[in-house]
Amino acid sequence: MGKPVVCVNGVTFRYEGCALPAISDINLQLDKGEFISITGSSGCGKSTLALCLAGFIPHHVAGEMCGSVIINGLDSQQYPPSKLAGIVGLVQQDPEAQMCTLRVIDEVAFGPENLCLSRKEIKDRVEWALEAVNSLHLRDREIYSLSGGEKQRIAIASVLAMQPSLIILDEPTANLDPVGTVEVLQVIKKLEADTAVIIIEHRLKQLMPISDRLLIMDKGRIICDGKPDQVYREFRCGQKRFYAAGFKPGEREGPSQPAAGEKELCLKPSPVLSVSDLSVNLGEKSVLENISFDIFPGQITAVMGGNGSGKTTLLLSLLGINKPERGEIFYRGSSISQEKVSLRARNMGMVFQNPNHQIFENTVLLEAMLPSLMLFKDKALASDMVNSLLEEFELLQYKERLPFSLSFGEKKRLTLVSVLGYQPGILLLDEPLIGQDNLRAEIFWQAVLKHSSAGGISIIVCHDPDFVRNFCDRLLFLDKGTLLLDRPVEEGFNLLKELGFKEYLPGGSIVEE
Amino acid sequence: MAKNLKNLFPGLAYVHGDTVVHRMHPLPKLLLLITYSVSVIVFSRVIVAVALFLVLLLFYGFSGLGPGFFLRKLRVIMIFGLMMLLVQIISVQQGQLLFEYTLFNSISLQIWSAGLAAGLIMMLRFINIIVSSYLFVSTTDPNKLVYALMQAGLPYRYGFMLITSLRFIPVFSQDLAIIRNAQMAKGIDLEGVSPGKVIVSVKYLLTPLVICALNKVDCLAISMESRAFGLHPGRSYLYEQAVDLKEWLFLAVSTVLLLGGGFYLTYIT
Repeated sequence: MGKPVVCVNGVTFRYEGCALPAISDINLQLDKGEFISITGSSGCGKSTLALCLAGFIPHHVAGEMCGSVIINGLDSQQYPPSKLAGIVGLVQQDPEAQMCTLRVIDEVAFGPENLCLSRKEIKDRVEWALEAVNSLHLRDREIYSLSGGEKQRIAIASVLAMQPSLIILDEPTANLDPVGTVEVLQVIKKLEADTAVIIIEHRLKQLMPISDRLLIMDKGRIICDGKPDQVYREFRCGQKRFYAAGFKPGEREGPSQPAAGEKELCLKPSPVLSVSDLSVNLGEKSVLENISFDIFPGQITAVMGGNGSGKTTLLLSLLGINKPERGEIFYRGSSISQEKVSLRARNMGMVFQNPNHQIFENTVLLEAMLPSLMLFKDKALASDMVNSLLEEFELLQYKERLPFSLSFGEKKRLTLVSVLGYQPGILLLDEPLIGQDNLRAEIFWQAVLKHSSAGGISIIVCHDPDFVRNFCDRLLFLDKGTLLLDRPVEEGFNLLKELGFKEYLPGGSIVEE
Repeated sequence: MAKNLKNLFPGLAYVHGDTVVHRMHPLPKLLLLITYSVSVIVFSRVIVAVALFLVLLLFYGFSGLGPGFFLRKLRVIMIFGLMMLLVQIISVQQGQLLFEYTLFNSISLQIWSAGLAAGLIMMLRFINIIVSSYLFVSTTDPNKLVYALMQAGLPYRYGFMLITSLRFIPVFSQDLAIIRNAQMAKGIDLEGVSPGKVIVSVKYLLTPLVICALNKVDCLAISMESRAFGLHPGRSYLYEQAVDLKEWLFLAVSTVLLLGGGFYLTYIT
């Protein structure tokens, strides 16, 4: 087999200002052509390990590192990332932020150009890399016009063009819709046999079939390393809740749950939210057309659909941020179409996809209380409620900290606390699973279930079919701005299957070997 | 703020096209723009300004942007130019009296030759400078321009500073829109326009925007450096942006015509 590509010997790294190391005593060896997956809960040190392997630690991140990382015989302590470029390639989570040029071809040529290669060599590499990610047809497109999946494929191509011995992919599909995820996974699967691949992911199911090895990290250490199915079994014995089986449907309390189905409709509880014939234009473009649905007390409704199908616009229109062209929205029987956003927000709490867009106060506590204070101006009430929620969401110990210093998953939980703090009747959640490991996601979901058993309704934009099957009562599927289907979940999936949207079915984004 | 600028300079962006003006290499085109602007500033006779304006119209004709471009995108500039003319006519009363009109037997409107000339010069200079820059921007792919400048010797770090900022303008404006939505969802009233709201919105929008921008910049820096950005003092380029001999010749002839013609019209006739 020859020399290993990666040799990590006893690496420990502690970020400046932190008491505990982010990773401890990591030992890892990777051979040419090996494909390994790394998973673990949020904050377990996966991304820190990636930064170590690419040389950004110790060169650009302040902290203390012991041990050595040898990549292709080069010690990362002596070689900064730009010198390791061409040996290690790193694909990050955000497809938008890692592109530095305006056109696809310039982006893929960017690395080889920096290496001062000859024009012919650059041209050959660009063509080869684009071919490898099935994207030759995109070569003259402008980056901004690409979909998320296409952008991520181009990011992979631009790393491939460096012809690295090791490619690290840090949650490359986290921001993608199911179609984009399948596109990217197919590309990853057929990466050249002599490139070693490390992929960091929360969603294990998709990776099991294509990995040679599976590593599980916890609190900065590698706690399992071996054949994927073996590790999976071993690990599941120890911590049943960790993944896949984490969600337990049917645990809801309370009688207020009218399991969505046509029969119940004859009982006719009055709907909490009714949308009738809603059409929304953004600029000249029609984004939603003739959307109508009713949602009854206690229902958890999933909204699925590809990127750009109008899911987020739907949530924003319910809240009144996007003004409808036509149509009416009713809350508990009365029309709210003319109400201002600040009035509607009393009944609808929205959690956005990226918590960084929402957060801005100086302490976690103030941030959590802000919407309650803005909307109801009752400080005492808000304070009690928010404190108990912070405790429930394991955030109380941070209450005097700056919200921006929290991890992504913690910020996301904070935004949910700030919304639950004023107990709105409707929860609007946009992609709540992103950046959450399954353990933490469960806390999130328990809160949603509690909300629904108290008669509240939740409308959740979500790309994860397994989650939708386990947790939701109803499925709304949007396609190019129209409501393609509105059914109970199982029936909805069957219909989607018939309509050929197989990526959106449970298990649909698994790429088989 | 950005919106206000947009209203003042509507559609100041590259318009895709395949005309002679579009195809011209960005570098001689930029040099030509500079020569043209120098001529506009150096020669201060009305006839030169008019001639330069006609030259500009000729290039607009070649660029295929059409009269609609003038009416829609340059309307504000034209109106502003006319106002400059009027102010000069009213305020400068020297030279010969060209025209006089008495209103209600008391207010007398007069146009003097020096006022008219000064007004025309000022208006045409203003229009020539702005409109020629508009033409340049509308017909030059910024990406090609920066790549050409880098190949002509601009240090590539500066070049990529320009390219990444062009790349991130739409990304940040999208972020800003989402942040605005997110703050409104929290019950912060940002609907409608009033000075109070502007201050509130700056307070609520700026912090998240800066944080998002910093996150993106971190990610970008990692992505660029892991692809060997900055490894060597120079870099190679996939596309060579060589300037044709014909284009250098065209530039030389145009420069002679612009400067020579201006000189002739100003000092000899």
